[in-house]
Amino acid sequence: MGTNWKESAESAKFRSNIYGLLATVFRKEPSEALIKELRDPRLAGVFQDLGVDLGEVLKDIPEHEVVETLSIEFTRLFIGPKDHISAHESIFTQLDGGMSALWGTTTVAVKSFIETAGLDYKQEFTGIPDHISVELEFMHKLAQWEAEKWEQKESKSAEYCQSIQRMFLEQHLSCWLPRFCEEVMDKTSVPFYRNMAELTRNFMRFEQQSTAH
Amino acid sequence: MSESKTLDISRRAFLSGAGAAAVGAATLVTPGVSQAATSDVPRWGMVMDLRRCIGCRACTVACKSENDVSLGRFRAVITEKTTGTFPNTKKTFLPLMCNHCEGNKKDGVPPCVKACPEYPGKRAKFTTPDGQKITYRTGATYKRPDGLILIDKEKCIGCGKCIDACPYGVRSFDPFVKAGGDPTKQAADKCDMCAHRVDNGLEPSCVNTCQGRARIFGDLNNPNSEISKLVKKHNLAQDANVLLPDKGTDPHVYYIDPDNLLHAIYTERKKKKLDHFVDQIT
Amino acid sequence: MKQFNRRDFVKLAAATGTVMVTGLSTSQNALAGDVRLQEGGRDFSPITKKERVAIPTTCWQCVTRDSMIGYVEDGRVVKLEGHPDSIRTLGKLCAKGQAGINHVYFPDRILYPMQRVGKRGEGKWKRISWDDALDLMASKMKPLLDNGTPELFMYQYGRHKGSQSSIMHDFMDAFGSQTIGTHTSVCEGPKWVGQESLWGGMYDNWDYDHTDFVVNFGSNQFETHTNHIPTSQRLIRAMVDRNVPLYTFDVRLSNTAAKSTEWVPINVGMDGLVMLSMVNVIMNEGLFRRDHLQYMRVSPDYHATDDEKIDAIKQHVAKFTPEFASEKSGVPADKIRMIARGYAKANAACLIGYRGTVMHYHGADQERAAMLLSAITNNLDRKGGRVMGVGASWKHPSSPKAKLQKGLDITNGFPGEAAFPTHQCSQQNLPMIKDGRNGRPQVYWSSCNNQAFINGNNNEAEAILADEKLIPFYVNTNIVYDESSQYADLILPDVTYLERWDYEDMVSPTGVGEYSIRQPLIKPLGEARDQGEVFYGLAQRLGIELAYKTKEEYVRKSCEMTPGVKEAGGFEYMKKHGVWHDKKAKPNYGFYEAKVDVSGDGVILDKKTGVYWDYKKAGVSKTEAESKGYLGVEGAKKAYVAQNINGTPRLAYPPNTSFTKSGLLDFYSDNFAAKGFPAFPTYTPIPEHQKMDKDDLHLTTYKVAVHTHSRTAHCKWLSEIKHDNPAWINSKTAAARGIKDGDSIKVKSDIGEITTTAHVTEGIIPGIIAISHHFGRKHSGIYGSGKKSPTTVTASSDPDAKNMWWDKHGTHPNSIIPNSSDPISGGQRWMDTVVKVSKA
Repeated sequence: MGTNWKESAESAKFRSNIYGLLATVFRKEPSEALIKELRDPRLAGVFQDLGVDLGEVLKDIPEHEVVETLSIEFTRLFIGPKDHISAHESIFTQLDGGMSALWGTTTVAVKSFIETAGLDYKQEFTGIPDHISVELEFMHKLAQWEAEKWEQKESKSAEYCQSIQRMFLEQHLSCWLPRFCEEVMDKTSVPFYRNMAELTRNFMRFEQQSTAH
Repeated sequence: MSESKTLDISRRAFLSGAGAAAVGAATLVTPGVSQAATSDVPRWGMVMDLRRCIGCRACTVACKSENDVSLGRFRAVITEKTTGTFPNTKKTFLPLMCNHCEGNKKDGVPPCVKACPEYPGKRAKFTTPDGQKITYRTGATYKRPDGLILIDKEKCIGCGKCIDACPYGVRSFDPFVKAGGDPTKQAADKCDMCAHRVDNGLEPSCVNTCQGRARIFGDLNNPNSEISKLVKKHNLAQDANVLLPDKGTDPHVYYIDPDNLLHAIYTERKKKKLDHFVDQIT
Repeated sequence: MKQFNRRDFVKLAAATGTVMVTGLSTSQNALAGDVRLQEGGRDFSPITKKERVAIPTTCWQCVTRDSMIGYVEDGRVVKLEGHPDSIRTLGKLCAKGQAGINHVYFPDRILYPMQRVGKRGEGKWKRISWDDALDLMASKMKPLLDNGTPELFMYQYGRHKGSQSSIMHDFMDAFGSQTIGTHTSVCEGPKWVGQESLWGGMYDNWDYDHTDFVVNFGSNQFETHTNHIPTSQRLIRAMVDRNVPLYTFDVRLSNTAAKSTEWVPINVGMDGLVMLSMVNVIMNEGLFRRDHLQYMRVSPDYHATDDEKIDAIKQHVAKFTPEFASEKSGVPADKIRMIARGYAKANAACLIGYRGTVMHYHGADQERAAMLLSAITNNLDRKGGRVMGVGASWKHPSSPKAKLQKGLDITNGFPGEAAFPTHQCSQQNLPMIKDGRNGRPQVYWSSCNNQAFINGNNNEAEAILADEKLIPFYVNTNIVYDESSQYADLILPDVTYLERWDYEDMVSPTGVGEYSIRQPLIKPLGEARDQGEVFYGLAQRLGIELAYKTKEEYVRKSCEMTPGVKEAGGFEYMKKHGVWHDKKAKPNYGFYEAKVDVSGDGVILDKKTGVYWDYKKAGVSKTEAESKGYLGVEGAKKAYVAQNINGTPRLAYPPNTSFTKSGLLDFYSDNFAAKGFPAFPTYTPIPEHQKMDKDDLHLTTYKVAVHTHSRTAHCKWLSEIKHDNPAWINSKTAAARGIKDGDSIKVKSDIGEITTTAHVTEGIIPGIIAISHHFGRKHSGIYGSGKKSPTTVTASSDPDAKNMWWDKHGTHPNSIIPNSSDPISGGQRWMDTVVKVSKA
């Protein structure tokens, strides 16, 4: 079997990019810089082609106003103080026993998985280890590393990295992310978050299909 | 945040069953409360001193916490009942849990174990404190040689027969644990006398937290244990001091009950119903 | 949106890569370091072996603050148990304590600062950073400093004790505002005021380990007590092991009444009268002990002989015969005699009381009657009796105080409302703000205090918090969204007590003080931050100097400067052991007998009162001291040295509270007389009760074993056991109104009406209705209120939320209880409300 190094590297890089994008979207409230980037015709055009409605982001209003609107929705959806969707795997997982929802045993498993891969949680990160954005960022980093290995023609390492990504998808992301996304789609009327959630769900489906062998 | 540290648990603390923390290190220390003085296999049991139960529910919550018991069911409860007419009104607290029955005289198999389709299963070995090995039959529900009635959730097929068979209604399905033998169903669950603690020399969690010292746990085979002395002193090994003696289950939870409250306020569960095994304060 | 294919994602990825080159690896990342993967290297399989770490710390569910051990696995708190080395708790922890974990990991917990963005109360929020939150607060507070009006910053707290309290006061002193609201007057204020008027700043406890007889008025000792675990376990042990009788006077068959030797039903507000009739029996039957008379003042005369005192007491209580008391209280006269005799004859006896006795009109005077019963039987600070509670005496770092110290007079009730509000009149804090006559704070910051739930007339409290004209800027520090935080302009995420540092000082029932610390079991979740650190963040922005940066530093310094703790090994010792007490210390029974050296320069004997005092310390000349006398010199009580007890200078009962008095127990109180209150404990009818219609009922409230007043509704294990609060009503009272058990009923007072459910029972006296006050939450997470959960309709919240089987959340009685105060102490009169009850 001949390996197409370049194609494999590209593919991994693309996946890494998508994970990175989604991690950025769900990490916290958007920054003006992010809005600017999303408004870049090169990106905005693709979103449009794909039928992803970015809502306020593309409206003719100043960036800081977009940020304000989306920040309020982000808080309402994911932070509280009232009914919100806690964006953490252990909240959604069913394996957690009657024990705590927040920072449950699943959180420990996620943290341990990520640390086993050589990564550390930054001191300044104040979230909880199984936050959606951390899991997405983790995949972003793994795919990035995979791409590097393909470029260095280290197929064994690259394939091993693929298997680790598959494992993380199966054990973690795919167990809850689709349900989380559907919950968000159901609970928000702000196009940006509804569409980002749908995009994420669709990407999960794609990932599950393309990594399943 | 503080540095991770291991508490210097003194022997005294340890003997009083102070710390589940000691679980890891427990085998290194002489087990305290759980130690059988003789080479005999222990026979664990519980005495409930109704004079001392003040209905505070620390046991109920300690059990929830120790065993991650989901909402909607309990492994241990306090039931309370108000009787009499004003101003001569009384209110009684009755702690309930699995009776860890010996089973009827004929075959020594409690009804829950008998009802389990997975019993008798493979043989297993139980090691006594002095290293003797005793063979016993496992099942999804089974009796260990030390008298504890345990559930092997891996073997459980979620049929619910043990739940129906227990005359005390202490069993329920665990909504969080699938039956290993049939993952489409939920596994049965109930009080296991905190076997994970007992096996490491600690008192059950409900005993550890009981401020009235109404719960006394120990080895009934050891004549010098506190529980044995209490059983002797109060003559507890008789029908009047256990629940539903006529069922022939030979319960090993005994009640010190000088006011004869037990049989006045305890009623047998209604068939198929578990609603009397719910802890509620009126 | 369509289903994406591979090509779609490639397009998106490419564009993302082009546009967001920097965006994908910004400083927002959570993860640091490089991926290190090597085939066959690390094991990614789930962890099976867990490391369990035990950390000693201190509970904070209620004011008892039991020492405990927290067990942590993989950074998660998994279990809390009592601390076996604690001389207070003896290794026990109550139901609430066991459920403490529920505070950390409940799905509705507030984890980030949030700023209101819609109208106040509209419920629209934006998460902001701590820096922005502190900047915002500082921007509101700085002008107050600049304008010389620090008092316009108000701090309203509920449960702050130990270092939480001292660090808060330190910050407030550094800022210069003394506008500080507490909550004691809705709790047990009248009890302390009654005691302070007598034996000084004491905190009574009961020596159950050595007592022979216990009489309880209105204290639910076995369910909820201010020093619950340390005392209740000792009481039940005394009862079973030593056959100590316990007689409980209560309107309701509480668990305490149920476990008593006998429940003695008593009509509402009659505790003091029955106590006085017990005094009557004891005096007239000669069952009193003369020992303590020399420390008592029972008439204006400071120098009365014992016989004169006996006569005076007899005279005071002459009309309170058991028959008189019986008629009003419903307690048979013979029962009063029997209990009085048993109590007086016992070698050592405890007279205990709490909310049921004191949260009334003249509640403080009822407590004085309880002290009188203790004194005439020589059970005050005697082995086996009502003793002085001994706590820990911590030292702590102090920051420079602001030169300008001011406070708004809005925490002591309306003018003339309370004569001695030494524990404030906090139920009126918000109404005072509404009233405005004594000013209004510009910045109102509440912490661990749910004003809109805990006070009487809570609907009014809510309306005041909702009004921006009355409270321009409201900051709420909390772990859960509640009735008050819904109106905040800024919500700050508090740490739970399992995530913070503190030293603690709650009294010990053994007469030997115990020092304990609280240390974090885990890192605070999210961005939850200890108030101590919030103070520091503010101080930096306000240009205020504090003596510490973090709470940990504050507690560490306190450990290093506190005698005893310091020598034992200070902070490191406390971190390792959690508790410390002086192994050589013995209970100091009869502290008042201590002989005092009065030979010091400046110490003179005041002829009128028999007080030895140091006129130099009082800052006056000898001439002035002698001409004005001890009582005539302002502040002389601070120079108190001793009391002349039959010729011997003894410590007696130093006047260490706001009451100016001699060293005698002021059963005859000039302080009270001067304000028009009974100088000697008496029976004062409750005004509302004198004009009741025939079908009117009394409304009383109570607590149950598994909840604190307002801080535990979101604890699922507790709310599972108790989440509803049907109104207790006697079968006769119910029948007269056609009410059956489970019926929906209306309860109407002068200020409102609630609809609740009837619990028809034989466990309550006829003529009253009793409703516990924990429930009827508008907010408090899904377990507390059934709403405002993360996701109420789908499976995606706390997995256990699906198993939540109860849908009743009770009815809050406070909305029909007016804020009205004991005119002596300012205590909220929870038990005096008159209602009409009918079938709904």
